[in-house]
Amino acid sequence: MTSERGEAAAVPGLTRRADAGRDEVPDGGAARHGGKAPPSAASTRSPVTQRAWLPWAVGGLVLAACFGLQSQLYAGQERTVATVFMFVGLAQAWNLIGGYTGYACFGQVVFFGLGGYTTAALMAHAHVSFWLALPASGLLAAIWAALIGLPLLPLKGHYFAVATLGVAEGTREVVTNLPSLTGGGAGISIPTVGADATTGYLGNDGFYVLFLLLAAVSVLVVAIVSASKLGFALRAINQDEDAAASLGVHTTRTKVSVFALSGFLTGLLGAAYGFQQVTIFPARLFDVNFTVLMVIMVIIGGSGTVVGPVIGAAFLQFVSEYLRQHFTEAHPFILGAIVIVAVILLPQGVVSYAGSAWRNRDFSLLDNIRKYRL
Amino acid sequence: MSQFFQATIYGLLQGGLLALIAAGFSLVWGVMNVVNLAHGAFVLVGAYLAWELSRVGVDPFLGMLVAALALFAAGYAIQRLLVNLVVNAPVFITLLLTFGLELLLVNGLILLFSADYRSIRTSYASRSLVLAGDVRVPVGRLLAFAVAIGITLALVALVRRTRTGLAIMATGMDRGAARLMGIRARHVYALTFGIGAAIAGAAGAMVGTVDTFSPADAGRFTLFSFVVAVLGGLGNMYGALLGGLVLGLVEAWGSQYLPGTLVNAVAFAVLVAVLIVRPSGLIGRAHYAARVEV
Repeated sequence: MTSERGEAAAVPGLTRRADAGRDEVPDGGAARHGGKAPPSAASTRSPVTQRAWLPWAVGGLVLAACFGLQSQLYAGQERTVATVFMFVGLAQAWNLIGGYTGYACFGQVVFFGLGGYTTAALMAHAHVSFWLALPASGLLAAIWAALIGLPLLPLKGHYFAVATLGVAEGTREVVTNLPSLTGGGAGISIPTVGADATTGYLGNDGFYVLFLLLAAVSVLVVAIVSASKLGFALRAINQDEDAAASLGVHTTRTKVSVFALSGFLTGLLGAAYGFQQVTIFPARLFDVNFTVLMVIMVIIGGSGTVVGPVIGAAFLQFVSEYLRQHFTEAHPFILGAIVIVAVILLPQGVVSYAGSAWRNRDFSLLDNIRKYRL
Repeated sequence: MSQFFQATIYGLLQGGLLALIAAGFSLVWGVMNVVNLAHGAFVLVGAYLAWELSRVGVDPFLGMLVAALALFAAGYAIQRLLVNLVVNAPVFITLLLTFGLELLLVNGLILLFSADYRSIRTSYASRSLVLAGDVRVPVGRLLAFAVAIGITLALVALVRRTRTGLAIMATGMDRGAARLMGIRARHVYALTFGIGAAIAGAAGAMVGTVDTFSPADAGRFTLFSFVVAVLGGLGNMYGALLGGLVLGLVEAWGSQYLPGTLVNAVAFAVLVAVLIVRPSGLIGRAHYAARVEV
């Protein structure tokens, strides 16, 4: 391994951020402004980095506001908002492997499903408390991620996408065909009441807090990774893997460990989701639409940024819920149209668009089309 | 023994159908590096067109031509107006665009035709030829298999013998160089996408004739196309046919000897194994697998 400076030099334009990020931990927004700082040691004392606490303060305020919001919602709304939190966490987990590292994982739902099934099996068969099953689910998902990551992560582009999709579908079939452990296609129920219940059902209030905390943990992990040496290694791999390797980034180890981390977070959310649903089925927990939603949320918000997936997840989930209530039948149809328009007009995501539009004072959306069309 | 023989026959015929479903997908992926997640939806649009026509008395093998023509026009327009706008963007973008298209088409079909299962009825498709040892060959599947072989051969002839086909191959190998030679890449891409959609439409008519279908099948068709395209390999027009036959045989034999629905897991295990050991597929060109996709 070379020094941090040498590693970051693999990424033109990020060198300066390495200097700015050595002492403080800039969030997405701060890091973006940090790019303007002069590339010298003095940059640590520039006015920009002195505001490095700002994103943390904003994050803390948002977290507090979400706790405060809870008392204003009735049960149905509470469930909806808890789902938004779940997707914030999922999008953030996918962001690690898909956004920062640039590996289009189209089988991310496999970790979600494994997490849910680990929790269900542990609670139903082994009578383990949910609070033990939760980390165990994350760990199992992380181990599976590392195991499949070793042979699959050398693949690139579409091939990695197809291979992970294949693993997800194959894992679902295996889970379906282990009825003694997983209940097979008929599903498995977690005992939540009576003597069999190891942990009482958390109810709408409890799951609101649980999903909020898990989402906060995911955002925190990504913020820390983003500012750390690992984060720079990931961006380097994303931009030019060979160059990153030649400058001392151990690409295989880096990719596998970030894939495991991403799987861990997804597994935690899957465990919470499985407990919330009580009865789970392979068709639901391994639904490929979960993966696709994660990807869309990250892309619309801004891949490879900390705040992007949060914005994307909140936006898409609220729009989807609004459409579901007002256009019950046509709602996926309209959602398809929204995805097409969003992808054509904002291929780099809201956060990156807003940043560059603000810097260049150019708010035209047509530039993106000019950039990517044939 | 006759059971094994029957499974082999069935696997080969099913493989031909899978090859037909995947041929257009493989072509589009190989030439444009676009993974078209809406491919399964195109297959279904073809199936519903042939189904509508069969209700006014048009034979599905004639309806197949109509479906192919209609989907060619639609595919050309979609590539020209939508996909060409993002064709240079990173991998995710085209994946998401075509996924949005899939949502649009599948849910449009549900709104139009409901989510019920349909099938195209003919007087001959459900009949069977009986071979020695009571091995049966369903006529409809045999005809669909013949169509799959015919379309693959036509595709090979198109790509090798016509100027348009050579332009498609050249653009697929190096778009920049092709444009310098005076090839209109936008038009060639749209043609390629149109041909892919047309084959999907024909495949849809065949699927409707031998099997039931509903809008919910779109994802399954796309997934099969994925597996077949990777298995056979890109850049070779026979790739989809070989991949389809191998997958059909593996599934048919697997369902004989494996319990439950575990046979589906076998298909994906084969896929992942091929990707790890030989990413260029069974007979694909290494050039396409090694291509760095940014």
